[in-house]
Amino acid sequence: MTFKDDNFDVVANYKSLLINSPELSMPVAAIESLVELIKHSKATTMSEFMLSIKDASQKLKSSVRNSISLSAGCDLFLRFVTRNSQDVADFETWKKTLIIRGRSFVEKADACRYKIAEMGVPFIKDGSVVLIHAHSRVVSLLLQKAAENHKRFKVFVTESSQTQGGIRSAKVLRAAGIPTTIILDAAVGYVIDKVDMVLVGAEGVVENGGLINQIGSYQMAIVAKAANKPFYAVAESYKFVRLFPLNQYDLPTYNADTLSFQELNVDYDSKLNDDGTVTRTPTASSSASPSTALSQTALHMKTSEDQASQGSNPLVDYTPPNYITLLFTDLGVLTPSGVSDELIKLYL
Amino acid sequence: MSKNNEMVDDLVAKLKRRQLVGSSTVAQATLRLLIVVISKSNWTTCNQLLTLVKSVGQRLITANPTELAVGNIIRRVLHVIREEFREAESSASNQNQSEFHSAPLTTSSSMYNLLGETGSTPDDNVQYPSSLRSNIIQEIREIKDELENIYDNIKNQASLQIHSNEIIMTIGRSKTVEEFLKMAAVKRKFQVLVAESAPSYSGQEMALELSKAGIETTVIPDSAVFAVMSRVNKVILGTHAVLANGGLVAISGTHMMAAAAKHHSIPVVVCTGLYKLSPLYPYDEDSFNVTFNPDSVLGFEEGDLIEKVTVTNPYYDYVSPDFVNLFITNQGGHPPSYLYRLIVENYDPNDHTFDL
Repeated sequence: MTFKDDNFDVVANYKSLLINSPELSMPVAAIESLVELIKHSKATTMSEFMLSIKDASQKLKSSVRNSISLSAGCDLFLRFVTRNSQDVADFETWKKTLIIRGRSFVEKADACRYKIAEMGVPFIKDGSVVLIHAHSRVVSLLLQKAAENHKRFKVFVTESSQTQGGIRSAKVLRAAGIPTTIILDAAVGYVIDKVDMVLVGAEGVVENGGLINQIGSYQMAIVAKAANKPFYAVAESYKFVRLFPLNQYDLPTYNADTLSFQELNVDYDSKLNDDGTVTRTPTASSSASPSTALSQTALHMKTSEDQASQGSNPLVDYTPPNYITLLFTDLGVLTPSGVSDELIKLYL
Repeated sequence: MSKNNEMVDDLVAKLKRRQLVGSSTVAQATLRLLIVVISKSNWTTCNQLLTLVKSVGQRLITANPTELAVGNIIRRVLHVIREEFREAESSASNQNQSEFHSAPLTTSSSMYNLLGETGSTPDDNVQYPSSLRSNIIQEIREIKDELENIYDNIKNQASLQIHSNEIIMTIGRSKTVEEFLKMAAVKRKFQVLVAESAPSYSGQEMALELSKAGIETTVIPDSAVFAVMSRVNKVILGTHAVLANGGLVAISGTHMMAAAAKHHSIPVVVCTGLYKLSPLYPYDEDSFNVTFNPDSVLGFEEGDLIEKVTVTNPYYDYVSPDFVNLFITNQGGHPPSYLYRLIVENYDPNDHTFDL
């Protein structure tokens, strides 16, 4: 028997929350919709109630492709509910307190970001150059706060071709009066010598203090380590997840399709087709500059075969803790080993 | 009250004029002052006392911001005060409303608090037992005892760290390292190389003290550190302060020695009392440094040269935590990655900065 909680659809609620307020992050939205579920729940017994919440969080997790930060929120809330379920005197009042607590969490979640921003500001030195990756609300907020505090610094932001988050970041930062340059994802190594620190957000922070973030963070961390530059991660503590990945392929977002090699004969055919165009283009318009020819072929490649391979490209990667200098969280500035301590406190 | 102010002014002046230097002396002076301030002033609530201690602390810290031990001691005392008040409060509320309030499962900063109730600020209306004042003073005296016996706890670990016929290298003069090596010399025979630590030459004094204790000691110039490093078994360092990430603020030349040790994969051990552990982070590498009189680098005798060059004499180095393998503290040996834990245990997260 499944629990169809009176035509209340958690997933739809979650999605509408995200659409209505773009500043909301995934775990907070997840908790908010779980609270909404409690409100609608007609469960009469404890176990029915718990099952319905578990069921709903499972549904939420499977509804999106990249569920890492979402599951952090769901797990935190589930943990909170189970922990409080022992001393229930009256079921209805207990449900009410859960709803109140959940509400206040959503309110506090915003304050978290401000707290982190304040803590991170002293790390940004006057006259420094900061490299950031894609778009992260909390990183943008931190940099905005630093600018408000009259720090003068410049920002390089990677374009992050998959989501175009870098362009979004650049807009926000430029509006705050911070000189910002968008660079190619492939140019991280090129600019690293001009950079004083690297700052990234997080989808999730895992048990060993490692980081799950938008694809490209890992290589950025490696480059930063090689160049001896500090690599700081910025994350709200509700993004801490109970995962212990040992490599990139341990993440729950990884599946057999990710970066799989395509069927050889199919691929080979399309390649041949492409090669034909490549050889023809320069002869047909030999007067055209080499750069236009290049961009034409690049465009052509994109239309013919990219569709399929884009779909199987990973969205996130895992950065092991030894590449991370410090984590700025609302619990304070932590070393990567401090993260596991916080998680143990919660799940002990 | 005015008597208290006089004492605070006195210590502030001494810190400003650098009549009082060295983390150990500064820490003890701070603690003595705080005991007097707390026992002689009027306060009834937790917030009053916290504000009082914080305001004294603020003045001492601004007097000499590079003596991080002052801030550490004040944070320790604030932590003790909070704990005592919390205890007094819970025992008071226990009498009133039995077992409804279960003991908090976690320390104050935790993810769980995000969902749980907002951290309860100490209630000002509770009637505190009269023993509270003496309890707090008692706890602070315990910190004082700890400070006085700090070398004993550190040096007891000496024979575990130093083995027979080893060659140890150190730099500068550190009372902690001196005691540590002397203790080891009681049981073991080993050799010590001391970098002379120009321009203060405190390494020479260190070497003299060690050789008086019968340890085979050699002074080497600072520039020879790398050259002899390959023969060394262990580098043992003292430090002025330990920062929250495990970085050191130590006498200049330490960074060079630690880097040379890392190049040869030689373990670097730092001996330090926990009162030197600060919850602050090295926001930038010069933030806790001081520059001294450059006379010892380039004296006035060199008149015409002095006009043409800038001479600086930084006293400290910042050494990043990846150069350190082990901290020997009065609470045992810890790797740099564990220091955050000690900070959580010893200081309240609200006290990392003194916002009144």
